[in-house]
Amino acid sequence: MDLLSTLFSLEEELSKVIGSYVQAFFICPRQVWLMSRQVCPDEDNIFLQIGRLIQKQAYSRERKEVHIEHLALDMIKRGEKTLVIAEVKKTSKAIEAARMQLAFYLYELKNMGIEAEGELLFPEERKKEILILTPEWEGKVEKVKQEILELINQPLPPSPHRGRYCSKCAYAEFCWA
Amino acid sequence: MQKTLYLFANGRLYRKDNTICVEGEKERKYFPVESIRDIYVFGEVDLNKKFIEFAEDKEIILHFFGYYGNYVGTFYPREHYNSGYIILRQAEHYLDSTKRLDLAKRFVQGAVANIVQVLKYYQNRGKDLESYLYAISLLEESVSSVSSVEELMALEGNIRRYYYESFNTILDDTPFILKNRSKRPPTDPLNALISFGNSLVYTKILTEIYKTHLDPRIGYFHTTNFRRFTLNLDVAEIFKPIYADRVLFTLLNKNVIKEDDFENQGGVFLLKERGRRLYVQEFEDKLRTTFYHRRLKRNVSYQTLIRLELYKIEKHLIGEELYEPFVSRW
Amino acid sequence: MYVILVYDVNVNRVNKVLKTARRYLTWVQNSVLEGELTEATYRALKNDLTRIIDPEEDSVLFYILGNTKYTKRELLGIKKGGEEWIY
Repeated sequence: MDLLSTLFSLEEELSKVIGSYVQAFFICPRQVWLMSRQVCPDEDNIFLQIGRLIQKQAYSRERKEVHIEHLALDMIKRGEKTLVIAEVKKTSKAIEAARMQLAFYLYELKNMGIEAEGELLFPEERKKEILILTPEWEGKVEKVKQEILELINQPLPPSPHRGRYCSKCAYAEFCWA
Repeated sequence: MQKTLYLFANGRLYRKDNTICVEGEKERKYFPVESIRDIYVFGEVDLNKKFIEFAEDKEIILHFFGYYGNYVGTFYPREHYNSGYIILRQAEHYLDSTKRLDLAKRFVQGAVANIVQVLKYYQNRGKDLESYLYAISLLEESVSSVSSVEELMALEGNIRRYYYESFNTILDDTPFILKNRSKRPPTDPLNALISFGNSLVYTKILTEIYKTHLDPRIGYFHTTNFRRFTLNLDVAEIFKPIYADRVLFTLLNKNVIKEDDFENQGGVFLLKERGRRLYVQEFEDKLRTTFYHRRLKRNVSYQTLIRLELYKIEKHLIGEELYEPFVSRW
Repeated sequence: MYVILVYDVNVNRVNKVLKTARRYLTWVQNSVLEGELTEATYRALKNDLTRIIDPEEDSVLFYILGNTKYTKRELLGIKKGGEEWIY
């Protein structure tokens, strides 16, 4: 890739919010900034590998990983009334962040004219949660999108803060090197 | 933790039953593809494109060495990490001569600091290295005031000359003598050993660069010409004294590698296979040694330390934190 | 983690189990493989083997050693296989 096209794609990246930013935003804003520059985590990280594996293993009979424009949806199913989109997570520890990510997908789909309901799935815990996009959720999503755009357009990433997620985070080596 | 496979065997290296297989005259040996990060090919092996494609798919790096133990080249698979942002930053720091010189100086300062640590280590073990330490410390002071990369190169060359001279004191209980540093070709056993160790460090760092977002073609101290890997040479400056030279001193002082481990081919010296195997074993033991990392708050190996160093360089390029090279405390 | 894998499966599936296990571990002797795995590669291996074996008939055992520092291994007779990273 030549530098000019790299530069253009970079500018485009920084004007767009994607689902993984929303989820990460609640866990670590620094991670969102790094993700927006494709400074992706160390793939040797075992927790990251396990997460991917669970996503691959679970629900292998149903359709998986659907890309609609900038959205990467784990699963799409036909529900009773509407489409159901599902997000698969390893644990429910960061459930708030997962809910927001799913709400973001529903919001973006609605803007494209697609009505859908959401499902949060935790295969390892055999847990499931339904999420419906309410006006209250819509407001929250709009606010978060704005905050994320401001964050990723900062010239520098927020400094690292040691939190409860650091010990298992794939970025830890990068942050604390 | 993925591992390195050092292949001295001759025969066929190929993909079999979705894993890596080496077939020699006597036996067929399988290696677990999911646990391999890189392969050092020393033996005379035949391999085909299917194998290269397999290596690419599994993100395994292949380093090739010639008959003399000389580094031939690397199969660096299509990069799986790609950050346009980091590449732009890397280029920016190369094109801006002030930024480039600043980074180049940091590599040299790190190299000298580790050279001094090595000398102090042997000074504490009864070797009289005072005059070398003094000469190097004088030159070290001028690193910050040089005004071009060329000047820095010359200064670093002078420091290295003193450093290599000190090898004769460190190794005074052994039959090995270093008259002067000769790289291509090595004209004495010690030069052959230094070159062998250095090429292991260069390639190890290249393997780790593959796991980051950095482009190995853009270096700062070593001249970039976009044909050759240079960033690994820069980073190697810091690690050569602790990884290669310390291993060399251990092997020679303990009489593990001996004079007859070298072969004289008309004035050109090469380390024979037994010596190479011993070196590689000691080198791997070194890389697997762990120590407590205070910022990361856990034990890390010397292997991982290379990766951490590369992350520090990335943070320097982003503009987040100035790069401070790793300095060994032992 | 260091893993020792021992299997006793129907002869029709012996080859499949061996081939799969060999992608992750090193063959030691008949029906025994071992090696260092990460949590993730261990899961992947288990996942692959689950798809091959018949749970009514076959048996695959994993001995998991957190650390090989405190283990000892002795050999009687000839060495058939095993880990060799300098080969």
